Amino acid sequence: MTHKNNKIPFNEDNYTHNINRNNERKLDRRGFMKTLVGAAGVFAVSSLPWGGVAAKELMGLGNKEYPHKKIVDIKSIPVGHSVDFKFPGEHDDAILIRLTETKYVAYQNACTHLRCPVFWEKEKGEMLCPCHHGKFDVETGAPTAGPPRRPLPEIEVIVEKDAVYAVKVKRYEV
Amino acid sequence: MKCNFNFAALLVILMLNIVFTQKMVHQYYFENYVTAMIYCVLNLVLFPVAILIYKQDQKKA
Ligand code: FES
Repeated sequence: MTHKNNKIPFNEDNYTHNINRNNERKLDRRGFMKTLVGAAGVFAVSSLPWGGVAAKELMGLGNKEYPHKKIVDIKSIPVGHSVDFKFPGEHDDAILIRLTETKYVAYQNACTHLRCPVFWEKEKGEMLCPCHHGKFDVETGAPTAGPPRRPLPEIEVIVEKDAVYAVKVKRYEV
Repeated sequence: MKCNFNFAALLVILMLNIVFTQKMVHQYYFENYVTAMIYCVLNLVLFPVAILIYKQDQKKA
């Protein structure tokens, strides 16, 4: 009975009874391992949406067709010039370049590195991303310099009644 | 010194998580959706494995 008030009533390894501070907020081996497991959990959870949209794409594959969208009238884009447009969605930036009298190419121009807008450098004849100097081949959209590793997605265009129309976004060859 | 095998295993899992995530995102943008899903599943599997390792380590102590 003598030590009645001198006893710890239960194991006090927690954050609230902080009279004994020895074990407080210490990241020991076990704590760190717990953090690692937590990190694995975060990775797992954040992988889910990617798997989800991938599955969705797989099911609805078969080259999606969008309504043809008029980009520009032929007479307002001289040879060697480019115009920006949006395709297929309102927020998908794209660029149309007129290479010759009859040859047009169009790409979704969000850089495949970190999505900066890619510009057409008329004088040099190449597509340039200003952010980290990524360069793309204008004929194919393939990356030729800098950090990007993936070609720009190409947009199929047709010329009809003196105007250029966007038809669809081409898929990469598998 | 405790057996640090489990500790190292968890670090390896973290490493794999990073690699798989990177691959998954890139394969998604490359439109290889099957590959992207495989990496997604791998990432998901790593979580229970990590829990198992942790539990096992706790038991040993
Ligand atoms: S965002 Fe285009 S090179 Fe980095």
